[in-house]
Amino acid sequence: MIDPEKIPSQVRMCSACPKMCRHVCPTFFAWRSDSPTPHGRALLIHQEIKGTRQLDERGIEVLYQCLECAHCLTWCLPEIDIAEIVEHRRTELVKEGRHPAGLTSLVANVVEHHNPFGEAHNARSDWIEVSPKKGKRIAYFTGCTSAYREKEIVESTVKLLDSLGFDIVIPDEWCCGSPLLRTGFIDEALEQARHNVEVLNSLDVEEIVTTCPGCYRVLKQDYASHGLKLNSQVSHLSEFLETKIKDLKTARIEGKVTYHDPCHLGRHMDVYDAPRNVIQKVTGRKVVEMERHADNAMCCGNGAGMRLLFPEKAKAIGNERIRQAMDVGADMVVTACPFCRNMLASQSGDEIRVLDLPELVSLTLEDE
Amino acid sequence: MDSKIKTRLMKRIESIVGPENVTVHETDTVLNAHDAWPLSEAKIRAGESLPLADLVVFPASTGEVAEVLKVANEMEIPVTPVGGGAGTCGGTLPIYGGIQLDLKRMDKILNIDHESMLITVQSGIVGIDLEEAVNRHGYTMGHTPTSLRASNVGGFIATRSGGSLSSLYGKIEDLTLGLETVLADGSVIRTKAVPRHSVGPDLKQLFIGSEGTLGVITEATLRMFPIPDERRFRSMAFPDVHSGLTAIREIFRHVTPSLVRLYDPEDTAMFVANHFDVDEGDCMLMLGFDGTPAENDLSESKSVEVCLSKGGKDFGEGPSKRWWEHRYDMYYPNRLTTSGYAIGDTIDIVATYDKLENVYYAMKKAMEEHDAIVMSHFSHMYQNGGSIYMIFFTNQPDAETAWATYRRIWDDGVAACLREGGTMSHQHGVGLSRTTYTEGDMGSAFDVLRRIKKVLDPKGIMNPGKLGLGVRD
Repeated sequence: MIDPEKIPSQVRMCSACPKMCRHVCPTFFAWRSDSPTPHGRALLIHQEIKGTRQLDERGIEVLYQCLECAHCLTWCLPEIDIAEIVEHRRTELVKEGRHPAGLTSLVANVVEHHNPFGEAHNARSDWIEVSPKKGKRIAYFTGCTSAYREKEIVESTVKLLDSLGFDIVIPDEWCCGSPLLRTGFIDEALEQARHNVEVLNSLDVEEIVTTCPGCYRVLKQDYASHGLKLNSQVSHLSEFLETKIKDLKTARIEGKVTYHDPCHLGRHMDVYDAPRNVIQKVTGRKVVEMERHADNAMCCGNGAGMRLLFPEKAKAIGNERIRQAMDVGADMVVTACPFCRNMLASQSGDEIRVLDLPELVSLTLEDE
Repeated sequence: MDSKIKTRLMKRIESIVGPENVTVHETDTVLNAHDAWPLSEAKIRAGESLPLADLVVFPASTGEVAEVLKVANEMEIPVTPVGGGAGTCGGTLPIYGGIQLDLKRMDKILNIDHESMLITVQSGIVGIDLEEAVNRHGYTMGHTPTSLRASNVGGFIATRSGGSLSSLYGKIEDLTLGLETVLADGSVIRTKAVPRHSVGPDLKQLFIGSEGTLGVITEATLRMFPIPDERRFRSMAFPDVHSGLTAIREIFRHVTPSLVRLYDPEDTAMFVANHFDVDEGDCMLMLGFDGTPAENDLSESKSVEVCLSKGGKDFGEGPSKRWWEHRYDMYYPNRLTTSGYAIGDTIDIVATYDKLENVYYAMKKAMEEHDAIVMSHFSHMYQNGGSIYMIFFTNQPDAETAWATYRRIWDDGVAACLREGGTMSHQHGVGLSRTTYTEGDMGSAFDVLRRIKKVLDPKGIMNPGKLGLGVRD
């Protein structure tokens, strides 16, 4: 978490920069205006701190037109993390009761149903079938999006972990809190978090595995920064599979395969190699990289409330990312995030196939 | 602007570009007023406000630009065209309000002509997006200003911009073959893209460097170059500016490097000596060569021979290569350059070799008299002369003193440049920061520009106050 005392000097510097990162900002791409840009956001907060101008409704909207993808940070020599600064200000705005009305249903759904979609909680995992195994006992934290919207991710993950001999436990998880934390609703997020910590710590498991980078970041980083401690190690599936890479098989996969780095996994958690190594093992060849990859990867557009508040712009960003994959002649985009998978698949049409990592790895099981 | 006029204007503009592509919201006018003029940046840091437009308009096509200008002309509303908003002279600040005509949505590549090695683009495409796009086809634009990530083609052309490799590839006026411009009355004019012609004056050159005062540049056809097989670097330290300049002059009589930068003792101490063991007072010459290995062998060996004969000490590729790899670093804000009421700027003058050294010493003396640190490098060098980046930096106890000191350094620096026969800008343009010096620089020729302005923009709506034109009461 950012030290609030550092924010005034950082936004002062960023707000008067000659725009050295703007060219990679996905919301600049979507709006082609200097308003929803890193320096635009910094200028709003700087002017508020200096007393030049108060933040008005449009200014608040601009602060919520940020994906918190942190792509700007990759290009920032003074290392000013605008995503963190924006999130800090969003937290204050929520406390002031000045957040966008469009978020109200999201928050209410998570509080009441423990998922952002307002789906019944008992339908979250009652469809997931796991069978006891003698191997290492692990908890699989599916996350809301995979549990309700991208079920293939859960199905393929369970199938895969089962085939590797792991004893899978599906915990009575609630939303990890990521959508709430990223949009500024700390108290509501921590209510979810406390439940998850209690449930996960009560399990007799050696490791917690998740397929969602949003959950991964929150479980591994945000909980700890709010004083909540998980007793077991948390891994993203890509890291977990990398440790078992010798046990993975190679599938017959035609065409060029590229990898889209999820922001929460890459820039936020520094996991770049593990998914690539797993893909290489499964396909038998190196990933064909997009021009913008790893810490320079473009966001898919599906983060920090963007798709909820500005769906057409979010889709335009996802569409551009697909275009970038097509630029390198990719036939398949593999990602490691249900949000990215969801957005990219919605924009891919018939020309390019989008799979999440466990779906790709599961193809090796079909060959058997 | 009167609220009734504003409402009427808004309605008419909305009908042209659509309501989602025009805004009167103050927050948007504030966030879109941000340019890269060091005085604007210093004022932002100090909590001051920049001049604001009444409307920011984002057209998507030449036709929309033409319709917007027709309305503005009829209603006599000032129009300030904006490209990337990366200008360093305040040229895009809407100092008389009115319409800020922002071209960022006009970012399409319209055609690549592989036979002629030409590309036609809308003027709102950002420099780095264009460079990356042509790289995919094996070309380079040969145009690499430090602002490449933020500036766009329209801005390049409107300010006669130059890249760090202009010694070989030329400036944007050399790289632009065809142009489409919309005049103040909404008429669209096109100049044909041909390599050379003999049909009267080259009218596209009238708009290259016009800074939005004569029309809005909407499309351009630009030259491309094959990506060179190799870019090679070499560095030489000279005991003083004079010997370094003598070597540069001599090198251009034989070969044409792509990169030529001679750092004076202060600039060498600041940016080179902390990484390389340079003797105090020495001046570092950085050279770059683009071509095949065989071509570069020839260019490099001849350059080395010349440098050694003029007292140069060989530093290999190190300093030049390091500069190239870190060429954007100095453009970022840092704690020194943004502390308190710190303000710095660059007067990017240009002169022929017979005057260049005199201009340098005269400007340095004049600028240093105002409590400024002055460091300089000679870059963008050619057969007949080149540019000097006269960089200054000052930090004063309060905003009023800082902005006044800044102005005095500019006044006396430019006066010294003109007195010694230099021209006050090589590539940054005039904008607002140099607008009052324009007539002094152009001399009798300025009257021609003034008359042209009167004919093309009789109501004076186009970017008033810039380029020495259209200052309103």
